[in-house]
Amino acid sequence: MAYNGVMPSARSRAMVREARHLLFTVAPGAIWIVIFLVLPGAYLMGVAFMTNGPYGLPEMPLSLASFERLAGFGFLGWSPGNLYTLLRSLWQTAVSTGLVVLVAYPIAYYITTCREKWRPIMLLLVVVPSWTNQVIRTFGWMNLLAPGTPLSGLAEGLGLIAPNMGLYPSNFAVTLGLVYNFLPFMVLPLYAAFEKLDTAQVEAAQDLFASPVRAFWHAVFPQTLPGLLAGIVLVAIPAFGMYVIPELLGGGKGMMLGNLVATQFSGGANWPLGAAGAILMLIATFIGLFAMRRIGKRLGGGEEVVI
Amino acid sequence: MPNNKKILALSLGGLLLAGSVQAQENKLYLFNWTEYMDPEIIEAFEARYDVEVVQNYFNSLPEMFAKLNAGGVSQYDIIVPSNYFVPRLIQTGLVQKLDKSKLENLDNIMAQFQDPAFDPGAEYTVPYQWGTTGIVYNTETFPEAPKSWSLMFDPKANPEHPFALMGDGQVSMGGACAYLGHGYDCTDMNAWKEAARLLIETKGRETFSGFTDGTPALQQLARGVTHVGLSYNGDYLFFKEEDPDSFATLDFMIPDEGAEMWVDSMLIPSEAPNPDMAHKFIDFILEAEVGAQLSNYNYYASPNAAATPYLDEVLTKPPVQPSEADMERLRFTPSLEGDALQTFQQLWSEVQSR
Amino acid sequence: MRKRTLKRGLTAFWWATLAFLYLPLAVVVLFSFNAANSAASFTGVSLRWYYQLMGNEAILSAFANSLVLAITSSVIALVIGCLIGYGMYRHRHRKLGWLIVLIYLPIVLPDIVFGISEMAFFVQIHRLTGLLQPGLGTMIIAHVTFQIPFVALIIYSRFVGLDPTLFEAAKDLYASPFKRVVHFMLPTIKPALISAFFLSFTLSVDDFVISFFTAGPESATLPIYIWGAIKKGVSPEINAIATLMIGAVAIAAIMSLLFSRRRHA
Repeated sequence: MAYNGVMPSARSRAMVREARHLLFTVAPGAIWIVIFLVLPGAYLMGVAFMTNGPYGLPEMPLSLASFERLAGFGFLGWSPGNLYTLLRSLWQTAVSTGLVVLVAYPIAYYITTCREKWRPIMLLLVVVPSWTNQVIRTFGWMNLLAPGTPLSGLAEGLGLIAPNMGLYPSNFAVTLGLVYNFLPFMVLPLYAAFEKLDTAQVEAAQDLFASPVRAFWHAVFPQTLPGLLAGIVLVAIPAFGMYVIPELLGGGKGMMLGNLVATQFSGGANWPLGAAGAILMLIATFIGLFAMRRIGKRLGGGEEVVI
Repeated sequence: MPNNKKILALSLGGLLLAGSVQAQENKLYLFNWTEYMDPEIIEAFEARYDVEVVQNYFNSLPEMFAKLNAGGVSQYDIIVPSNYFVPRLIQTGLVQKLDKSKLENLDNIMAQFQDPAFDPGAEYTVPYQWGTTGIVYNTETFPEAPKSWSLMFDPKANPEHPFALMGDGQVSMGGACAYLGHGYDCTDMNAWKEAARLLIETKGRETFSGFTDGTPALQQLARGVTHVGLSYNGDYLFFKEEDPDSFATLDFMIPDEGAEMWVDSMLIPSEAPNPDMAHKFIDFILEAEVGAQLSNYNYYASPNAAATPYLDEVLTKPPVQPSEADMERLRFTPSLEGDALQTFQQLWSEVQSR
Repeated sequence: MRKRTLKRGLTAFWWATLAFLYLPLAVVVLFSFNAANSAASFTGVSLRWYYQLMGNEAILSAFANSLVLAITSSVIALVIGCLIGYGMYRHRHRKLGWLIVLIYLPIVLPDIVFGISEMAFFVQIHRLTGLLQPGLGTMIIAHVTFQIPFVALIIYSRFVGLDPTLFEAAKDLYASPFKRVVHFMLPTIKPALISAFFLSFTLSVDDFVISFFTAGPESATLPIYIWGAIKKGVSPEINAIATLMIGAVAIAAIMSLLFSRRRHA
């Protein structure tokens, strides 16, 4: 402790002072977050348990109707629309996170093999596009993938898409947009992991295992795992709740959970249903976080994963 | 440290205050469709009444309704929704009754607009413009296009060219209803279900491009992103005038199975910050010459009888004034409430998420 | 031999990825100078879209709003976040689990949930008290909320990286706590302060969803304006605004590079 030298008689006074110090430093921020995030969040959860009014606003009495609606039950019996949306979100998240890993892994490694003075510049080059607004980045892809553009022409020539159609709007465009948007979030933690790589261990593994694949699997991969998991958390969670990219690039076929939730508020349809969707999103997020922590603890050899 | 806290408390208080005293006396907040107002009219109004007009825009009625519910009800002085959203605005208490003693030019309105079905007695609304929602298509792609919704809903009529439906579910659903022979303004549950199934099927086709609002649909058509889309007659003419090259191969058509006719009206939100100025604005738009200037600018038909002598010639013929045959096929989009609205929204969200 | 092929392959992959990262931005910049209103064909160089921007009051005010929002929120977040960061460090031996949860909450919450909860809550509060009318004020509040954690964590890790005896030395050197803050604490964490401010600023500029849901009629930011323009379907003008923003980011990138170079030298 920092206050070893304090006289016993003064200890209680010091403790009060310390407590007050804690209050002064931590309280403003804690109160801010409680008032402007925890309370709103709690209110939104409350809304999910209210009845949907005639024009989409929450009303009393409390009910579970919006959760039933979310599960697909309505006036018309059960329908799979929301389930499709949920599955599409999970699928898009999984595919785009996987692709991001496939691209980021070699990139992060490559940067560590370059000369030290180049590395900050290389990292900067990877990160800079994400400093522009995500609406602008997505708009760039709208331009690139629209019908009649060279990329669309190429895809058409290869028979990948129907004639006259562009690559956008489509689910493919959404995946691409997600990969583009989140690539830097994977490169950074992976780079940090590669930089700390214990080369002695790798060299030992190279002697021990005949094939480089096995050497990689046993010596390199486990060491980069914490970075990889941190990257997955940083990519998968926001990707799952993404709103802008499917809205702009999906063109009505690519609705994800974020769009379902947003439409209930920005398209004036059903606040309680939107709130219930938000709860579903939160649950999925926390399950994902929890799972990552568990995996990280089990595989990471006790090393704590960031977040 | 305590000093910091005081500063913090002060700045926080300042923030709250800043949030609450935003609306000022000498401003008028107008919430309108995009590309729907002549900037010169705004300038003239600002000059006459020494106010600043702050304009905000929406692309669809659901968006407008949502914004009002999300605090807009106390932030806008005038909104300009279409006929079928008026009853729900009135019933939710989002709009206030007009003070007709402040509206000297009410008599300028054409007789057929004086007592609309969506607002009996015209207690809340003053008509702004009226028009139609039709199909805009590429005449090079479809030199012999049928005058029909089949350009969208029949894969044989349009096998391989991208098309977009309307973002506002009621219009897309109405189109599907019309194509199926139930009429554009169908509200029958079974007809709706059939229409929703058709929409889901249509969405599944490779050439379906998306649900697009009326104004951007035209931009997509002009840039060749789509070859068939849904838009408004006046917007079509407006952008054709702006960009004649791109629009040379685009035509506007009212399908024979029936389509939408609408009236947009000016209303005052119930907690409008400046209702007095809002009345002045409505009265200003009702003036004969201003009303004509508005229509001449945005190519929509005017509900203002006194404005007729000042209107450009283009406003007296199709597509601004539909032919008599087309006129008979045009319907108002039904205004939904209660169970019908809930059912519709469930069907529509099903269409969107498939 | 094999190693060299691997290295060559990686180099090629690196350049391909860079192309992937910069292609969309390059296309936006290129077509902002396009004479024609087309995303498919480039017909000639022209500045017409930039001329169109210049007289546009809405864009200017959106630009001003973005700037005011980013700077104000970053400054507030810096003050509050610094306090928490320091508090967390000073009291790191206590059990502060609840505080950690609170601080991570804004980070892990999906944007859309964040945005709609604040919107719904602000609307309700406004209905009851007349406070918190949607506008720049509510947007600043929302932005500060998601900036605080990042500032706190940066400052905290800076303090953790310091030699604890420094604090003892400073205590001997400066009698008043105020002087200690001004002459010791702030100078020591200056680099962390700068990067925290910079990160807050970037987060604010990058945000669209939360701003979108908390904005009022006069507080549209550039991203909100661009979103509206995309939804309206006007393309070439967006290219021009976006290019200006990309240019600003490029300048910021070069500056941060020079800054870090100087620090290393």
